Amino acid sequence: MKKREEGVKERAKMSLLERYLAVEIGIEFKACLYFFCILFFYSMYRLLCGSMEASILHMGEMIFLTYGMGYLQKYILANFDEADRWGLREIGFLLLCVGIYTAASYLGGWFDRRGFVTVLYALFMTLAYICGFLVYKVKRTLDAKQLNEDLRAFQGRDGSRTPKDRIPQAGREK
Amino acid sequence: MKYTIEHISQGENEVILRCHSPSAEMEQLIRFLESQDRKLIGNKDGIRRILEPPQILYVESVEGKTFAYTESEVFQMEYSLAQLEQLLGAVNFFRCSKSMILNIDKVRELRSLASNRIEATMCSGERIMISRTYASDFRKRLKGAR
Repeated sequence: MKKREEGVKERAKMSLLERYLAVEIGIEFKACLYFFCILFFYSMYRLLCGSMEASILHMGEMIFLTYGMGYLQKYILANFDEADRWGLREIGFLLLCVGIYTAASYLGGWFDRRGFVTVLYALFMTLAYICGFLVYKVKRTLDAKQLNEDLRAFQGRDGSRTPKDRIPQAGREK
Repeated sequence: MKYTIEHISQGENEVILRCHSPSAEMEQLIRFLESQDRKLIGNKDGIRRILEPPQILYVESVEGKTFAYTESEVFQMEYSLAQLEQLLGAVNFFRCSKSMILNIDKVRELRSLASNRIEATMCSGERIMISRTYASDFRKRLKGAR
């Protein structure tokens, strides 16, 4: 009996661990995506300024910021970039996140505190969030299509909802 | 496994399974056939009624009590959720959350939601959430039919 209880506790622990890992991996994946967006903009800025070098410090700030923002979005902002539709609340969250990214870029001097470039960066991050939202939406639409195809196959296969054109013929062998 | 269907003009519908020893496929088929024949007892307004599994859209456990929902009625069941999960068989009924079992045959449409959740719209129009924990098993169950 004791072994059984221990087994149940063990399975509960593993499930908690698995759940934690699933969330953690999701946050890190998103952090990497947004980091690469920022890095792209930063690299283009550096190139246009005639420099072939990038600051490791700036990149470190970027990755820590995107990681922290991942947690913020997941636990406080209800993963608004994965929402089914955007209302006033989601747009508010979007503006908050873009504001944080913009403020961090200005304080960190990523773009040498140039106003025009900082504004462009804010617009770029807004676009990145919109693209993220659309990508997730398209992914879910395709997933739903596949799910519904599988559902029809399941419902048709066991004969409980056999469509008229699938009435079995006598003597058929499989 | 091969199968033969023979149309008859008289007599009762009958399924005969022939095997050297029952395989996993056969066991699943037997469980499905048993679940179709199985009848359950539910209570409504103090009256006990017989329910057939194909009538049930989903079963829900609330505050220690179990309720079965058909298209137009709700019955309190004499079984626990775990017992019903056993009785209803492993084919068409699926545990979609800690407190719910749904009848896959009565699902009209599925929608993919954020965080790997799935929303099932039943033929009655009700929407049931399949939580993230159960969503991947649900997908496997559906794929198993292909």
